[in-house]
Amino acid sequence: MNGTDRARGMGRRRFLSGAGALTAAGWIAGFAGGWVLRPRWAHAAGPIKMGIATDITGAIAPSGNANWQVAQFAVEQINAAGGILGQPIELYLEDTASDPKIAVGNVRKLIQERKVDVVLGGITSAMRQAIKDPIVNRGRTLYIYPQLYEGQECTKFLFNTGPSPAQQCDRLIPYIMKTLGKKRFAMPSANYVWPQLLNKYARKVIEANGGEVVFEEYYPLDQAEYSATISKIKDGKVDCVFNTIIPPGLQPFVKQLYESGFQKNGGVLSCVYYDENLLNYHPANEMEGLISCLDYFQAVNDPFSQTLQQGYAKKFPDTKYLFTAGSAATGMYRGVKFYEEAVKATGGKLGREEVAAALDHAVLSEGPGGGAAMVPGHYHAKMNMYIAVCKSEAGKTRYDVIDKADMVDPREC
Amino acid sequence: MGVATTRGAAQARKVRGSRKLAFRVLPVVELAALVSLVAAPFVLAERAALVTLMTNIVILSLFAISFDLCWGFSGIMSFGQALFFGAAGYVVALVGRDLDFSQLLGTLPLAMLIGGLLSAALAAFLLLGRKTPTSIFVAFGTLTGAYAAERLVSGWHYVGAGNGLSSIKLMAFGGFEFVEGAAFYSVALAALVLVYAASRVLVRSQLGLVLAGMRQNEERLAFFGYRVQVFKAIVFIFAGMIAGLSGALYSYHQGFTGPSNLGPGLSTTAVIYCLFGGSGTLIGPVLGTVAIELLSYVLADTDAIRQFWPVILGVVLLVVVMFQPTGLLGLIVSARERIGSFGVRRGAR
Repeated sequence: MNGTDRARGMGRRRFLSGAGALTAAGWIAGFAGGWVLRPRWAHAAGPIKMGIATDITGAIAPSGNANWQVAQFAVEQINAAGGILGQPIELYLEDTASDPKIAVGNVRKLIQERKVDVVLGGITSAMRQAIKDPIVNRGRTLYIYPQLYEGQECTKFLFNTGPSPAQQCDRLIPYIMKTLGKKRFAMPSANYVWPQLLNKYARKVIEANGGEVVFEEYYPLDQAEYSATISKIKDGKVDCVFNTIIPPGLQPFVKQLYESGFQKNGGVLSCVYYDENLLNYHPANEMEGLISCLDYFQAVNDPFSQTLQQGYAKKFPDTKYLFTAGSAATGMYRGVKFYEEAVKATGGKLGREEVAAALDHAVLSEGPGGGAAMVPGHYHAKMNMYIAVCKSEAGKTRYDVIDKADMVDPREC
Repeated sequence: MGVATTRGAAQARKVRGSRKLAFRVLPVVELAALVSLVAAPFVLAERAALVTLMTNIVILSLFAISFDLCWGFSGIMSFGQALFFGAAGYVVALVGRDLDFSQLLGTLPLAMLIGGLLSAALAAFLLLGRKTPTSIFVAFGTLTGAYAAERLVSGWHYVGAGNGLSSIKLMAFGGFEFVEGAAFYSVALAALVLVYAASRVLVRSQLGLVLAGMRQNEERLAFFGYRVQVFKAIVFIFAGMIAGLSGALYSYHQGFTGPSNLGPGLSTTAVIYCLFGGSGTLIGPVLGTVAIELLSYVLADTDAIRQFWPVILGVVLLVVVMFQPTGLLGLIVSARERIGSFGVRRGAR
């Protein structure tokens, strides 16, 4: 399957229907470059300018578009309720195009041309690392990174609102080992920093629980041929594949693994960034039995989360880009809301120092999957974590939530 | 080729005879370009993002010139310019990270050295072999080099693998650090002016005359006793040094470098800059870079075509390359002037 082409096709369709949705909501798209969503009223102090830098095109466009829609959704809710202390939020979008080289230039537009007060976005760690310097150091702007990631990002003025390796592994791996009885792990991975550091953490947890890592290997991001990997999985009698390959290499790997009969023979495929959006990438039958651990699943039974989903579905009817956790969409929602809380706490002051000081101990009483709280001095948030298994029925896939842990500590910084 | 040869020679004779009378457009274009580039940061002082864009354009112009020296002046179809560009970019990033050093007086010459050494190695292999290489062989050789380099760094932990290197230490001069802006722009422009002047001397020297002869009929020059491949190698190495300088400035300016800065994709971009502006002249690639980068900046920011602007850009490029093979510059500068005259002027006044 060609992920890039598919993504572009969906992008265009999304663009057309999205434009309709925007007009309906009373937004005005700007003509002077970038996407600008302006609020309907003015405030003496001017609007709060919020920049979104995410992957609207390229290999991970499905996730990026979900991010952008969730940002619009969250900001619209805030503006509909009167803004932050009366100040409306103006939203700016720049496409990071799944390519750090292009992203650096576009993110600078947000900062130098738009002079935004905060930037939210970036999905892959490669992207975060490429754009954090133009935002935080050179651009002297606050940065909120919404995606689950490898941890160890302890940069001042950079706040992480997605789960850390501790939050994802501490519960999931013991569950796979004790409840499912799997002991021999394989770690096929894309060659960049997120898999490297996540694997390091996961390996520690596996070995501490008496398991064994049969192999840990890194491939170029666009590798399409995995027969050597598959035969190692067979020969090594691996019973759990802890996958951190990402698109565009992901689709061929999952397909080849499925076709080798790994799952049929009792193997477990685990992938901690897998959410409902990722199902866009694969045929349903390849997904059966996949196990994931995230801060939210749509199957989570929580009234506030369900209201959120209904509101989102109303704003973006029939959208392919879902409000889910692994695509950084929940982190994006949390990021916008944390920022709102922080600006409320500063009394409307938007200076980077003041907002960062307030963000440091911001608390959300509710959100997707439950509330969240920044851990003061640690740039990361406590949140609820869920383990879920993918079920496929008649060509459709869904997750069943099988375990929940409350307000898990990120254990970072 | 044969027809071109006689025509070229006739033109060269004519040029010699009528030098005093003919009005020359090229110096005017060059002067206009220089004045606009110098004025740019003052005109754009309020628009920081546009100064950043102009800095990128100036840096990429260097890169385009390096390709044009190969193709337009020496007939080497080099798809490897990005290899020198990217490698130098990685080296200055690593020197900044591991040695904590980013003084431009040290790192920029180092970058030129890296570009020069790599191109020398490639030239030794591709150009200076026992058999005279065909242009296809050289094109594929350089392409393979760039491709291999891109694959290599995207799997190499030490240089950041697929992530590339980010938060590159800022370029410094003494205690002054260059973030993007007017100061960085001045450095880039100074580099462009110096490189341009040096290249101009080179291509208008006796060596340039040999290159012009080679372009017209390489075999004939070889029969005259010129070691054609050595001349090619000299230009290739010089171009490699310029690509290296450009790559280092680019890394510093973006604060980021990644595997795609080394690959065939970027090499091809240089080809397009050059063909669009007008190959075989030095100002052509600069104009091409300015035109393409400004065009993509404007197109990418037009909401109506946001989802397909690259297609429009592609069509424009295609039209120019098909119907105007001498590039934008060919619209205002005659063939006679593009080919130019060589050596020291004697008895001109």
